[in-house]
Amino acid sequence: MNAHRPALRLDLALLAIVVASSGAARASDEVPRRTTGLALTPAQLVVSVGLQDLFGPDDRERLKSGFVTRVLVRVALQEEGSSEPVAIAFQRTEIVYDLWDERFRLRITRGTGPDVHLDARTPDEAIARAAALWDFPVVEAARLRPGAAYVVAFRGDLNPISEEMLADVRRWLVQPARGQRRVGTGDSFFGSFVSIFVNPRIEDSERQLRFVSQRFELRQVRTAKGGHP
Amino acid sequence: MHRGQAKTPRAWLVAALGAGLALGAGVARAQPSSNAPSPNAPSSNAPSSNAPWRPGATSDDAAKTVDDAEDVAVPAPEFVDPAFGPRYVIEDVVVRGNRKTKTALILAELGMQAGDAIVASDPRVDAARFRLLALGHFIDARLSVERGQRRGGVVLLVEVEERGTLVINELYPSTSSATAFWGGADVSDTNFLGRGVNLGGGFVASTKPIVFGAEKGLGLRLHGSIPERQGPAGLGLSATALYDDGSEFFRTSGTDEDADPGRFAAVNTRRAGGVLGVGRTLTRAWHASLDLRGESVRARLPPQRARTLPDGTTAPIDFDVREGASRVATVAVTLDYDTRSDPVLPRAGARVVGTLEAGGPLVGGSYGFGKALVQASLYTKMPRGHALGFHLLGGAIVGEAPYFDQFFIGDLNLLLPRRALGMNFATLPSRNLLGTTIARHRYDDYAARALVEYAIPVWRRRGFVYGGDAFAAVGLLGMASGGDLDPPGPFAWSHLPVDLTADLGLRLDTYVGIFTISIANALSRSSF
Repeated sequence: MNAHRPALRLDLALLAIVVASSGAARASDEVPRRTTGLALTPAQLVVSVGLQDLFGPDDRERLKSGFVTRVLVRVALQEEGSSEPVAIAFQRTEIVYDLWDERFRLRITRGTGPDVHLDARTPDEAIARAAALWDFPVVEAARLRPGAAYVVAFRGDLNPISEEMLADVRRWLVQPARGQRRVGTGDSFFGSFVSIFVNPRIEDSERQLRFVSQRFELRQVRTAKGGHP
Repeated sequence: MHRGQAKTPRAWLVAALGAGLALGAGVARAQPSSNAPSPNAPSSNAPSSNAPWRPGATSDDAAKTVDDAEDVAVPAPEFVDPAFGPRYVIEDVVVRGNRKTKTALILAELGMQAGDAIVASDPRVDAARFRLLALGHFIDARLSVERGQRRGGVVLLVEVEERGTLVINELYPSTSSATAFWGGADVSDTNFLGRGVNLGGGFVASTKPIVFGAEKGLGLRLHGSIPERQGPAGLGLSATALYDDGSEFFRTSGTDEDADPGRFAAVNTRRAGGVLGVGRTLTRAWHASLDLRGESVRARLPPQRARTLPDGTTAPIDFDVREGASRVATVAVTLDYDTRSDPVLPRAGARVVGTLEAGGPLVGGSYGFGKALVQASLYTKMPRGHALGFHLLGGAIVGEAPYFDQFFIGDLNLLLPRRALGMNFATLPSRNLLGTTIARHRYDDYAARALVEYAIPVWRRRGFVYGGDAFAAVGLLGMASGGDLDPPGPFAWSHLPVDLTADLGLRLDTYVGIFTISIANALSRSSF
């Protein structure tokens, strides 16, 4: 047993470092706040906020790939201090560049509402239409409790992919030779205690954007002029 | 990023829609119902964002959001129409960025070729991209189109960014009281010569053990595989050449718990041979393979062939290998079922691997035996993103298997040195935490283990370390051979050859690979 002690010390030291640094990692994971426009129509709470920064420079370039770019924005109203959303809503947008007409075609769907087809002449315009929410309805106004404090949480996803596909890609990357490594002849099933390789991160979407609105109460929300657009 | 929910994206959509979309413009109540039909039944190929999302995470409580998102995941709607956008006819396909990987290999993965018609939102485009990524040869792969000769005609551009394909599969440095040092590595190139062939090798070498008659150990492996997409009839092919020249230690005196190398004698065994295999992925979850194995074995037994028992009597030592030259020849069938949500930090799903191996004179071997082994891992989600895993192993051997094909205590007990490339370098018995007869058991015909593991996410972020789980595992293992199943005298729990095993540590998924830092690693394998 004595012969194992140096290795044990090394492992324990690394363990301590990683555990200690996980606190710092958590702090850096904080979801930022973003000032959000809030208004009440006669029937609904609507929000206005931009998620255009979901697109990076490369993503802008790829808008002209000729293939569809998908944007999913999910919105949740949550009572402060509660982990249960009061209401959720989403908007999905598909953008495709028409190589011959040289304009962007968009199809926008809010929830189960009808598809809305739009054209855009520039990438900026296409991104704004896909990723900026204007008077986006979140919840019936009647469901808001006077005196309660709320926040609206947002998540945008660029080109989301399915969970099954994600798992498959990860599996193939981590175990490139499935079927080759036969267990039971001296190998350990619980396997790779160390495996070193270039391990690119495959996300469940190409880019994600998450933030929350400022805290608000019902009495602080302005009434929208002219009601729902 | 949060992942790992049990419901599929389709189920979430159905749930969300069934919840009653209160407003026509896309407001859903938060309470989902499970059975309401969807008016927009999604296509199975439609991509979706499936990540569970804890929507209300604010700066104040972000610290507790690492993976408790599973509790309140917001439904993830799917994109339902794969026919949106213009229709193209592919006039040509151009591949860019592949300095090492053969263009033909990339074209074979596309599933599209000149003359095909595709739509801008065609699911085959995403599928092609992810097939390319899944090759493991590229950091990124992108598809786009440029105008062709006439309206509607396009040139399909495939742009790839290659990655390093050298993989260190395993490192073996370790030490024990019997062997001052053994070490080595197993390395592969997963894209050898740019042809998508996996070729690698491993070695382990040791200092001379301080066991009577022992020699320095040397183990070599050369392994290669051709993936199914390039193999004949869609079969994956694999070949492994092996060479092991080393010693195994057999007790000659002392109590079962005594690990003093001076109480052991060495059998020196040289094995040379290989395994040829074919495999096929049957479905997304199932994979099957068939392996033919042949080895030439030469064993030199020690002059001392009997053990002096603590009471002064002697008993013959069963070395479980034929003196001089012999052969091992077997046929093995393996079925692998894998539905884990992630191969490194799973939160749901299962993996079950079952192998049946048989050998004997009929296939040219000197040892007639059959071996069955089933190993299973099942994961279930717990609150706050935690995961509970159950790991089961059961195996049995009938007939005369050489010792290196028997179940070895170091491969079962996390707290002991396991074999490196099939060779053992330690004399440690099982820890015997339950005060049983387990210390007597090193190589046996029957083995079983049940482990329960609890994992807590401590790290989910972008950056160098993608994710990390703290985990604790505890389990029970048992080993036996024929005579142990019916011991003389009355039954007593202490006669059962069982022991506890456990581990505690961190499992890290990083940009440069996968690492486990744990107490058991330090005690047994010294993985760094």
